[in-house]
Amino acid sequence: MAVMQPKVDAVIVGMGWTGAIMAKELTDAGLRVVALERGPDRDTQPDFAYPKVVDELEGSVYRKFLQSLSQETLTIRHKIGDTAVPYRQIGSFKPGTGVGGAGSHWSGCHFRGLPEDLKLRSHVEQRYGRRFIPPEMTIQDFPVTYEDLEPHFDHFEHVCGTSGKAGVLNGVRQEGGNPFEGSRQRDYPLPPNRNYLGAEWFYKAAREAGYHAYPIPASNASGPYVNPYGCQMGPCNFCGFCSDYGCLNYAKASPNVCILPVLRLRKDFVLRTNAQVVRVNLDRARTRATGVTYLDAQGREVEQPADLVLLCAFSLYNVHLMLLSGIGKPYDPVANTGTVGRNYSYQGKSAVEMFFGEDVQANGFIGIGGGGTTMDDLNGKQLDNGKAGFVGGGIIWARQPGAGPVRGIAVPPGTPGWGSAWKRAIKESFRHSFYYEVQGACMSYRSHYLDLDPTYKDAFGRPLLRMTFDWHENEIKASQFLTGKALDMCKTLKPKAMSGEGWKTGSHYNVTIYQSTHTCGGAVMGDDPRTSALNRYLQSWDVPNVFAPGANAFPQNNGYNPTGIVGALTYWAAKAIREQYLKTPGALVHT
Amino acid sequence: MSEPKADSTENATHPLSRRSLVKGLALVPLAAVGLPGCSAAASDTSESADTPGERYTPTFFKAEEWAFIVAACDRLIPHDEHGPGAVELGVPEFIDRDMQTPYASGDIWYMQGPFVEAPPELGYQGRLTLRDILRVGLGAADAHCRRQFDGKTFAALEPAQQEAVLKSAESGELQLEGISSKVFFAELLAEVRNGYFSDPVHGGNKGMGSWKMIGYPGMRADYTDWVEVRDKPYPLPPVDLAGRRG
Amino acid sequence: MGPGVRRVLLGVLSALVLLAVAAALLALVPTRTRVIAATVEGDSATIERGRYLAMASDCTACHTAPNGPAFAGGLPIASPIGVIFSTNITPDRETGIGAYSLADFDRAVRHGIAPRNITLYPAMPYPSYAHLTDADVMALYAYFIHDVSPVRARNRRDEIPWPLSMRWPLTIWRKTFAPNPDAVAFDAARYRDPIVARGAYLVQGPGHCGSCHTPRAFTLQEEALDESGKSYLGGGQVIDGWLAVNLRGNPADGLGGWSSEQIITTLRSARDPVHAVIGDAMSDVVVHSTQYLNDADLLAVASYLKTLPPDAHPASSFAADPATARALAAGEEAGRGAQLYDDNCAACHHTNGRGATRALPEIAGNSSVLAADPTSIIHLILQGSQLPGTAAAPSPLGMPGFGWRLSDQEVAELGTFIRQSWGNHAPAINPEQVHQLRQTLAR
Repeated sequence: MAVMQPKVDAVIVGMGWTGAIMAKELTDAGLRVVALERGPDRDTQPDFAYPKVVDELEGSVYRKFLQSLSQETLTIRHKIGDTAVPYRQIGSFKPGTGVGGAGSHWSGCHFRGLPEDLKLRSHVEQRYGRRFIPPEMTIQDFPVTYEDLEPHFDHFEHVCGTSGKAGVLNGVRQEGGNPFEGSRQRDYPLPPNRNYLGAEWFYKAAREAGYHAYPIPASNASGPYVNPYGCQMGPCNFCGFCSDYGCLNYAKASPNVCILPVLRLRKDFVLRTNAQVVRVNLDRARTRATGVTYLDAQGREVEQPADLVLLCAFSLYNVHLMLLSGIGKPYDPVANTGTVGRNYSYQGKSAVEMFFGEDVQANGFIGIGGGGTTMDDLNGKQLDNGKAGFVGGGIIWARQPGAGPVRGIAVPPGTPGWGSAWKRAIKESFRHSFYYEVQGACMSYRSHYLDLDPTYKDAFGRPLLRMTFDWHENEIKASQFLTGKALDMCKTLKPKAMSGEGWKTGSHYNVTIYQSTHTCGGAVMGDDPRTSALNRYLQSWDVPNVFAPGANAFPQNNGYNPTGIVGALTYWAAKAIREQYLKTPGALVHT
Repeated sequence: MSEPKADSTENATHPLSRRSLVKGLALVPLAAVGLPGCSAAASDTSESADTPGERYTPTFFKAEEWAFIVAACDRLIPHDEHGPGAVELGVPEFIDRDMQTPYASGDIWYMQGPFVEAPPELGYQGRLTLRDILRVGLGAADAHCRRQFDGKTFAALEPAQQEAVLKSAESGELQLEGISSKVFFAELLAEVRNGYFSDPVHGGNKGMGSWKMIGYPGMRADYTDWVEVRDKPYPLPPVDLAGRRG
Repeated sequence: MGPGVRRVLLGVLSALVLLAVAAALLALVPTRTRVIAATVEGDSATIERGRYLAMASDCTACHTAPNGPAFAGGLPIASPIGVIFSTNITPDRETGIGAYSLADFDRAVRHGIAPRNITLYPAMPYPSYAHLTDADVMALYAYFIHDVSPVRARNRRDEIPWPLSMRWPLTIWRKTFAPNPDAVAFDAARYRDPIVARGAYLVQGPGHCGSCHTPRAFTLQEEALDESGKSYLGGGQVIDGWLAVNLRGNPADGLGGWSSEQIITTLRSARDPVHAVIGDAMSDVVVHSTQYLNDADLLAVASYLKTLPPDAHPASSFAADPATARALAAGEEAGRGAQLYDDNCAACHHTNGRGATRALPEIAGNSSVLAADPTSIIHLILQGSQLPGTAAAPSPLGMPGFGWRLSDQEVAELGTFIRQSWGNHAPAINPEQVHQLRQTLAR
């Protein structure tokens, strides 16, 4: 018999970026909000305090800030018909947990979206013809434009203290920024971070190739900053512990630093941690949510009734909750019916390591998660896909989030993994090597999707989410093309050794190697309820008092990191709730 | 009076306090709750790297297992002209202690069945936790050695023979009873590296020997002044969690 | 024993008896106090004024227990003679002050006398509240009687052993050291302008800043209650292991180097672009009291404080010196103190000791770092400190403690280094001081 909580105006599932943004916006609008976070409370003091936080064993081996997979994970298979097996150990992607979620342990790369990437299908069809898109590729336009999102991109950057240089300001090209970006109304709130050696040399290599290099927009503050909410950030000191770790001096943007301080002072905001939401409850007609059920720290079932349900969990878990709760029709890839689970996509990644002599002070331990240098010459409309032979594009960047010996020291190809030869190699390379990376877009396909696993369960007795995904020939071609270009760039820097290659033809998605936590899609936004689970305001087509902001809404993934778009979409959805939904509850889009 | 007070009674330094006694109790240092290997009196600036591997008494590994671990550490990261080896840096001790952490008992792994065969790209699908992978693996490896080398365990082999065994485990060629040699080797090597490179508080990397070898500054977390320095190497020695310098 | 000796002894004995009788008379004769009015109207303007004054006077600091109902008392307060529990000042008739007349209320707040002529422990800062005007006392009364929610909560018995629990020595103390309100009645003409005058009133009266920030004599009364005393607000008391700082005009260890704007911002949000409040003691005051002062009153307080002259012979000085920053930035470490700074502090406070404006406090030229008494700095290095969230600045920025990995010797060397680098000149710290504070904090 569940314990019943008093009803509130809105219940928010998950207290990461999207949850914190929604909580701020809805309490601004005067709503009483309860936020339920499955993990513990977290804050800079004491959880990310120096010096204990920079312990590589605790952070990168014990992974103490990441979600433990022991209670909840997913199963993965490459194609329909295979048996999916559990993702038992953290590898390819790293969901977060606790207050702040992945927003506490992310690196800080903060891009917007290219205008043409938000209208990818239209762009590709117009430029290359409809037949250029393989029939099984299910890419779609976002149901919003860059112009729709621009004020929200801008606001989120100012909340995060994003450090960068505008490339196009009110239509006018700016020196030092990205000449190919969508026009912005004002510059970033902070100037770009300083360049570590690899980032500085990227400009050289880019110039040789005729590329237009610009500083990666980084939500790692380049100077002390106070955001529009009055929250304070300190300057990044390049400690090298962004990825997988919480920031020790308030420099990396996170929900904890940028939004929670204000929320915690609000009486209308109630935060319950160690509260595992197990399902959204629907009324009998299954067209309205009545609230959620969660397990408290002791494991008792508690019901939290609410007028509005915001699914703000990590993208995969948003989809999981929708499937478990019966919100929308599950996608069937064979019959091609249903919407919840379709259009799952990921991100391409490969790296080129360069090794130099002792006179090059590369100092891999100096690190900044989001900072560095990149270029868009092979991304968006700059790339001639017809010539290149694949859909999508990507970026090549110089990034150095920080290396430590436990996390791994790169060695030249052919070096054994142990013994004296290995020792000599790591001694020579640790301070004198760096790498450039390719980050590629990933299209969505009919046979790449999410559903519920028939065999494996989580610690709460629920079926695990099942992911069916592999690299399509399109992404492999993209990887080979882009990595080839990266190798060309690296050659111009004349390293004494170099290693790196694109994915081999016929290779499969490998979950054991970290690539990125950019798991996208599964509950995508669209104009057509037949091919999307959410409308343009991230409102469920089927249950109008449920909204699900997150990267789950992406119809496919582009070459950039997703957080910038995720934040902007959440502010966009919150605006629609405040200005339209609260006045007239119900479906905001009628077809 | 400009000298700081050095009163002999606490009352004289703390006249009438309006604040809560209860608050006073909350002033107990947070980390007074056992940080292993740390003490408030730590003031050594360096530690000699002798052979603590001999002084430490394992509490997880049995004698024969311990011998395997020590020998494997010695082969995987030997002492040589490049720098210290794993044994002298206490890596066997690290591993023994690490086996007793929640991590080694599968705390962050999904350990529910069924356990089925799957392509290697889909990751580890075994039911053994890390501590059991090592225990079962080294037991099976020793069994193999006894069969192959006239009853000798791994620890009793010549270094060249030990290297050959490790190489064949690394490639997966080595057939072991009940466990994949490739999985066993990968986890063993990872643990040896973890012990070699992690903070000395965890039992290995005594005296920050590995950090000194590669020039890693340790738990410094501030390179503001060095981001743009191109013409000279970073000069400061490493510092560990206990605040000692290497 | 000869007759001469006997006479001397008798003389001494008689003198002692006479003294005892005088003391008893002093203790037992009830204090007559002026009745200011029969009662007070409970109109909303007066109540609102009372609410504001209650925040300015920070009644909640003692009269609200942690997580307890507002003003219901029960907070334990450590004193040299034992634990005192604050009382219930909600208008509950049985267990609170619901039955108090205005005269009863005034006697308690400004005179320190509870019903039945019991003298209050000076944990209640009545020597400061004696400066309140009649009108303000009436407004406070209106607020507490007519607006505060009554809570039924019996006052806890103080844990003070006999004979220390006898009250009559306290009465003698009060009559000797606590001023008569009429003698210290607010006189704006004493100050050069009305803003400074208002500030003087707030600081001396409701703010009762001197309770912590003025040094006390060995008989435990504040050495001065207003700017006429040269030790007024000169700092020196240690509250919960944190030093109440010098608020006089000393350029290095007082407010001499602070602008009015910085004082205002700090009172409003516990921090300003280069400073941060250290320790809970003052943080709580900001959270419950000073953050709610209106702009005019904050300006008044800052203006008044800036009129206080410096001490004649301050212990510390500051003259900016780039040598330390230059050396540290190049990786040169002159001694163990510099090494400890690099290994523990530089990550946030940087090699130039400037921290980061609007985020991480400055060490160079910092008045707390330069305080004559290093208690706060030692405490900070040992245990860290965290800022509270305030309406004006919500971020709970904090510093971790390092006592778990530094010996007494190291804390002393590090503390001395920061007090004598970048142009800071303050007395060195010795390991014994660190040891003492560690003992105290562990209790």
